[in-house]
Amino acid sequence: MAVFDTPQEAFGILRPVCVQLTKTQTVENVEHLQAQLQAVSDTALQELQQYILFPLRFTLKTPGPKRERLVQSVVECLTFVLSSTCVKEQELLQELFSELSTCLYSPNSQKPAAVSEELKLAVIQGLNTLMHSAYGDIILAFYKPSILPRLGFAVSLLLGLAEQEKSKQIKIAALKCLQVLLFQCDCQDHPRSLDELEQQHLGDLFASFLPGISTALTRVITGDFKQGHSIVVCSLKIFHKTVGFVMADEQLRRLSKAQAEPVVEHRIAELMVHREGDWVKNTSDKLVILIKKIIECVSVHPHWKVRLELVDLVEALLLKCSQSLVDSAGPLLKALVGLINDESSEVQAQCNNVLRQFADQKVVVGNRAFTDILSESLHSLTTSLPRLMNSQDDQGKFSTLSLLLGYLKLLGPKINFVLNSVAHLQRLSKALIQVLELDVADVKIVEERSWNSDDLSASPKTPTTWQGNQVQRRYFRFFTDERVFLLLRQVCRLLGYYGNLYLLVDHFMELYHESVVYRKQATMILNELVTGAAGLEVEDLQEKHTKTSPEELREIVTSLLELYTSQENWYLVTCIETEEGEELMMKQSDLQAITSRVHTCQIISFPAFSKPSPTICSMNSNIWQIYIQLEGINQFAYALGKDFHLLLMSALYPVLEKAGDQTLLISQVATCTMVDICVACNYDSLQDLINENSDYLVNGISLNLRHLSLHPHTAKVLEVMLRNSDATLLPLVADVVQDVLATLDQFYDKRTASFVSILHALLVALAQWFPETSYIGQPQDQSLKEEGSYLHQTLKNNTTAEDIEQFVLDYLKEKDVADGNVLDFDSDEEKLSVPPTLEENDTLPDVEPPLPVHIQIAKDVMERCIHLLSDKNLKIRLKEKLQHFSYHILICRRFAKQAPHQQGLKIHSTDSTQQRGGEVAGARFFGNASETFCPKENAFLSIPIRKEK
Amino acid sequence: MAVPLPLPPPGPQFVLRGTQSAVNALHFGGGAQAQGRQLLFSGSQSGLVHIWSLQTRRTVATLDGHGGQSVTWLQMLPQSHQLLSQGRDLRLCLWDLAEGRNAIVDSVCLESVAFCRSSVLAEGQARWLLALPGKGSDEVRTSTTDALHSPNHQVQILEMPSKTSVCTLKPEADAKPGMPMCLGLWQAESSPRPLLLAGYEDGSVALWDVWERKVCSRVSCHEEPVMGLDFDSQKARGVSGSAGKALAVWSLNGQQALQVCSTHQLTNPGISDITVRPDRKILATAGWDHRIRVFHWRTMKPLAVLAFHSASVHCVAFATNGLLAAGSKDQRISIWSLYQRT
Repeated sequence: MAVFDTPQEAFGILRPVCVQLTKTQTVENVEHLQAQLQAVSDTALQELQQYILFPLRFTLKTPGPKRERLVQSVVECLTFVLSSTCVKEQELLQELFSELSTCLYSPNSQKPAAVSEELKLAVIQGLNTLMHSAYGDIILAFYKPSILPRLGFAVSLLLGLAEQEKSKQIKIAALKCLQVLLFQCDCQDHPRSLDELEQQHLGDLFASFLPGISTALTRVITGDFKQGHSIVVCSLKIFHKTVGFVMADEQLRRLSKAQAEPVVEHRIAELMVHREGDWVKNTSDKLVILIKKIIECVSVHPHWKVRLELVDLVEALLLKCSQSLVDSAGPLLKALVGLINDESSEVQAQCNNVLRQFADQKVVVGNRAFTDILSESLHSLTTSLPRLMNSQDDQGKFSTLSLLLGYLKLLGPKINFVLNSVAHLQRLSKALIQVLELDVADVKIVEERSWNSDDLSASPKTPTTWQGNQVQRRYFRFFTDERVFLLLRQVCRLLGYYGNLYLLVDHFMELYHESVVYRKQATMILNELVTGAAGLEVEDLQEKHTKTSPEELREIVTSLLELYTSQENWYLVTCIETEEGEELMMKQSDLQAITSRVHTCQIISFPAFSKPSPTICSMNSNIWQIYIQLEGINQFAYALGKDFHLLLMSALYPVLEKAGDQTLLISQVATCTMVDICVACNYDSLQDLINENSDYLVNGISLNLRHLSLHPHTAKVLEVMLRNSDATLLPLVADVVQDVLATLDQFYDKRTASFVSILHALLVALAQWFPETSYIGQPQDQSLKEEGSYLHQTLKNNTTAEDIEQFVLDYLKEKDVADGNVLDFDSDEEKLSVPPTLEENDTLPDVEPPLPVHIQIAKDVMERCIHLLSDKNLKIRLKEKLQHFSYHILICRRFAKQAPHQQGLKIHSTDSTQQRGGEVAGARFFGNASETFCPKENAFLSIPIRKEK
Repeated sequence: MAVPLPLPPPGPQFVLRGTQSAVNALHFGGGAQAQGRQLLFSGSQSGLVHIWSLQTRRTVATLDGHGGQSVTWLQMLPQSHQLLSQGRDLRLCLWDLAEGRNAIVDSVCLESVAFCRSSVLAEGQARWLLALPGKGSDEVRTSTTDALHSPNHQVQILEMPSKTSVCTLKPEADAKPGMPMCLGLWQAESSPRPLLLAGYEDGSVALWDVWERKVCSRVSCHEEPVMGLDFDSQKARGVSGSAGKALAVWSLNGQQALQVCSTHQLTNPGISDITVRPDRKILATAGWDHRIRVFHWRTMKPLAVLAFHSASVHCVAFATNGLLAAGSKDQRISIWSLYQRT
């Protein structure tokens, strides 16, 4: 089709059609005109705009009933013309506006005429196009007070359509049109921003419609979910744009300065609204109700886009109308905060953005009113929290806690204002404590036993990252959802992050002391507070003003550690048998042999003792208490990182002790804690950790050995330490062995079994540390390793007599072969293996040089063992013979080889000075040894001596 | 159990191990400014001085300056980073420990091989007096055969750091106190005259006026040699312990005369060191019976017997914050927290 560029050409074409239409107004003629218009260029059309519009407007204006079809096509044609041209005259705009609006209105009824949906749509689109086609200046002039009645008519028409129509399309179109009409269109065609005066002017004008618009839109928004999300989204948008425009603080502030009222007609003046203080107050009061309704409905809307729009609404209103709508701030913030943990990630992201923006602009922090509102909301929430936690389902609890978390996030550093009020702090802490109550009815926790717990080297490889998050599932009384727990953790961390740590720690420590009922929860909270204070795993929105310094944190952690590991909080009764001590431990080991790791219902096998035995519940509770405290130590290590080094001296011993606890749960978490301490303090392995901190352990061990009855696990710790240390620790070991032997001397009758196992571990360690020959380089390492792994195995498999015997025989055979080749090294080795730590002896010059420390230790041990050979208990006797002597022989034989002449003399000469009848002991020892082991062994003993000769 | 177990006797706060030989001397240093950075110096029989950090409870450094001979006395100079150590190699070394250094900056030769510990009176950083057993090297050696004038019986006063000899205090001709066993140099607040308290082999304690080189007063308070003494210049009261079974408390009257106030019998004989806490509330003794005894300083009421060591205790020292350290022949140093002011 040809395009007619010039107005002349176009006029030639259009004229007959227009004339025709003016004469006979039929649908066909209109369509004909529209068809012709397609061929006319936009510039030509603009020139002929008035001419073409005339027949169309004429058609609309002719009185009398018209056919809907005709009206519709006319409106469509009109729309087409307007879309390609501009309206440059204000009169035309006004007239077209009224003509179009009346199309849908039957003169004799108040309601929109019952016309077809197509017509409605056409008219709405017509209006929309009209408003877009008007020039900027024109349109501003259009919005003057005198237009108020007509505008109001159109607005109510559109609202009516949006509210009552069935067709979604019409509803949306009506809303869009309304948006344009209210000057809030977000399309590209309105580039010009309004200046202050214009804004104010428009604001005054629209203020008249605010009640109508807001109530109608609220009805739409709170309508059926099924009406489709786009309608709600659109309505929300118009709502917040309109409210935000009319109630903008900026405009209202300027309004308060007196202004000359424009002179208007009396009738119209009645319609005008003056936005003075009273009006603002009244309006905002009414808006609160609407906003609350909207929030209530929309925040649970199933479609995420709707919730997203709600976030925008909150943002817009809080940013623009924070003063005028101050009463709504509470609900608005609540809505926002509640959406932080929305299931849709978009909503979450937007929410976080908004919150961050608020934080950046200090919307809350800089606004006293908001802080007050927030702390009030927080207070009322914490008040109702326990009740809600009782009554709500997990989803409800989740959202309630999300809200709590959100409030805290929003308050940020202002949390301290809340915390400084005793009432607030009390409420908050009580709420947290109540919510975190654990369910301690589970019997399994108490039942589960760890049999091989002391074998640290068997624990999983040391990871390089913190493992603390692998928490054992715990059962809370008030919720089962793990997410709820994570939220609570986050709440506590945030408190620690922003809050005054001293205040909080003090408060919760008080609660810790106050009642056993609170203790576990308080511990959990304290742990999280510290983690939060270190700024770890905290989702923060705003920078903290005062960071807790590492020194302060360490001080706090030190005091907490002291609290946790104090006698009354660390040594809780976790199982009935701990009190019974030795006898039962024996029983257990027997059971272990029989049931071989099938350990269920051990509890039953222990009949009721005469003592009032603790209930399962209290033991379970105690187990959890220790568990949480251990976990706390873990978290402290994580929080302090390398700084935790300084706390190892007080933390390592208790943790290691718990690693050997009989209760599976405790030993597991203690082992886990050890691993994490390794990570925090940068040790490669548990062995390293233990080895390098043995001095701290020895300190704990030797102090506790003094009161063995109170610290029955001390022996275990020493055992573990011995297994994980190396020869460099010999002086330390020598020191502590003196304590052990002294204690053993006091307790020959009781607890012998645990001592025997210490002594065994000691001799194994000595045998391992001072291998017989020191080949240079690999061979030795290998043999060491072999030996180590063998020993290891034997330890694991609850050594049998055959094992030991076989081991010793194998070992000796190997060495026999080896000795022949390396005899030359022996003299060097002697020097090497004599520790440089011999005591300076400035008494008699002719005294023989003292025995090397390890030999001395072995000898001391041997002397004690002699007495145990006749122990009543068969188990101990067996353990004695089979385990110890193998190592005695191993160690002494090596020494014999190194200093053959001396040795024989030595043992006897020094022994003779002993008061304990050492000579007899020595003789018996060798006698026994030869009886216990094959004659070959005896012969072997003499081999090196012969060689030396 | 109906009757709860009585609480076990408290143990030491912690124990320092690793000197690997008997501990003969202890001294707290590092000042009171930062408790965390407090240091403890220990001198061992093997001639090493260990510097312990009380924060980590580990050795920070080891000083080796006495050729393997036992270190008998350690003293930090106030307001400086200098440490004095006296060893049985007949040397008294001055160590510079500032900024992590540990070098001997000066040393003084000793004449006496006895166990007597030296004493310091620091008036300021620039000038301080040092009392050490033995004769000054600048003195003309008269007759070494004369027991009375043997260097072992004299006390030499040096002005440091110039090492100029101030005087040599020789016992009076008629008195035969034997060797000095312990020294305490002090100064009354009212007068600048330095005074020296010396405990002698014969069990007597003498007050010397350093400027006049004469004994102001002498009191015989023990049957056995005096092993240690400490003096409270505010109360003008001192206490001494000996190889015997008694502690003696003596006081100084206005005429600079010593008189025995009271004696306190101990269960087991032998005190190797005695020290009053800086706040003058309690005092502690190091006993040959492996025990540390704590007394109330004003009333001399026995407060505690601390049993931990497995060999005789050689030395006790108090920190400014009240911590007590005891070093023993069993190679351990125990640290106790006693009657802390809260």
